[in-house]
Amino acid sequence: MHRYPRWPIHLALVGVSFLMLIPFYWVLKTSVTGENIFAYPPSILPKSPHPFYYVDVWYYIPFARYFANSVAVSMIAVIANVVLNAMAGYALTRDFPAKAFVLLLFLSCMMVPFQATIIPAYLITGRLGLLDSYLGLALPQCSTIVCIFVFKASFDAVPRSLIDAARIDGLAEWRIVWKVMLPLAKGAIATNVILGFIWSWNNFLWPLIVTRSADMQTLPLGLARFLSYQEDTTGALYAFCIMVLAPGILLFLLAQNEFIRGLTSGATKG
Amino acid sequence: MSAGDVETPRWRRLLINRFVLVPAAIAVAIVFWNVYVSMHSHGVVVGRVVDPAGQPVPGATVVLWVLNFTTYVEKTRATTDSAGRFVITDNDSHNIRLAAEKPGTGRSARVPVRLYFRAQDIELREPLMLSGTS
Repeated sequence: MHRYPRWPIHLALVGVSFLMLIPFYWVLKTSVTGENIFAYPPSILPKSPHPFYYVDVWYYIPFARYFANSVAVSMIAVIANVVLNAMAGYALTRDFPAKAFVLLLFLSCMMVPFQATIIPAYLITGRLGLLDSYLGLALPQCSTIVCIFVFKASFDAVPRSLIDAARIDGLAEWRIVWKVMLPLAKGAIATNVILGFIWSWNNFLWPLIVTRSADMQTLPLGLARFLSYQEDTTGALYAFCIMVLAPGILLFLLAQNEFIRGLTSGATKG
Repeated sequence: MSAGDVETPRWRRLLINRFVLVPAAIAVAIVFWNVYVSMHSHGVVVGRVVDPAGQPVPGATVVLWVLNFTTYVEKTRATTDSAGRFVITDNDSHNIRLAAEKPGTGRSARVPVRLYFRAQDIELREPLMLSGTS
């Protein structure tokens, strides 16, 4: 039994949620009507909605190709994120010399913007012969410090005795990670999957620099290309935005419970 | 973990969950849509041409324009039969316009027709109506 009624809080949250959803609704509405977004007074409900702007987008640019490229790059980034970040996160839960310094280094690196490291990243990718390839497109997203700390927080919440028991049973360190830690860190995995996917899916600058051929372009580049040669694109542009956003939103809705659990794991420790 | 979770078979837990069912439903919808498209994409456009009195107009010329990047270009022509009916069989676009004309009878407005996919087979609900003289 709560001391105070909770409905005012829920009412306020519902109101704020509606406010947050208004831009999404507006994009969706414009994508099926093509209305001028500067029209006044604005129409709240769509007038004569139709799906033909989506059809236009599908045929104006090689959408299926861009979509497949984005999926391939995001899959590589997501898998690499889970594998590499789990290993790094587990390493950071162990005691080793200069651990505090390494943690400080990680945290300080978070403050360096990607734009500052893009030239060395490009040169390294070029030396590896990965320019204009899926792996090269995914490379900078293969491990992110935020996601490493998500795994670290999740692994920190696992009782030490469990790891000791696994070690006594003869498990090697990497098997402890895969057999003991990861099954207990589903929230962290979901967080890594969603963040890795969204960051990779929405990435514009790196694919712009790394891709050489039109066949390797991803959806954000396709959007830029679409804008560059289409006039009067209001409806089609918004339809394109919906088509680009839809997979990320779907993934978040599917895994939102695990995602929130992963972000908050470790927060209530102790 | 509840007692119900323990009794659930492993295969059921692996298959009957939202991470499998939602992508599977989307995949099924995509397959059905592609089958439908392949069965209805012969590029056939069927319609009628009538005069202002609603009577069929035989011998009228129907012109099909297709969107070429940013402008509409003429793609093909067809002639109506004795019932005022025309059939175009080589439309390969999803964004077309149609107009009819018959010397001495008149011409119709250019009617935009939007299709759900390229070369979709379609029968126009409203006939092309000739008006005025040409």
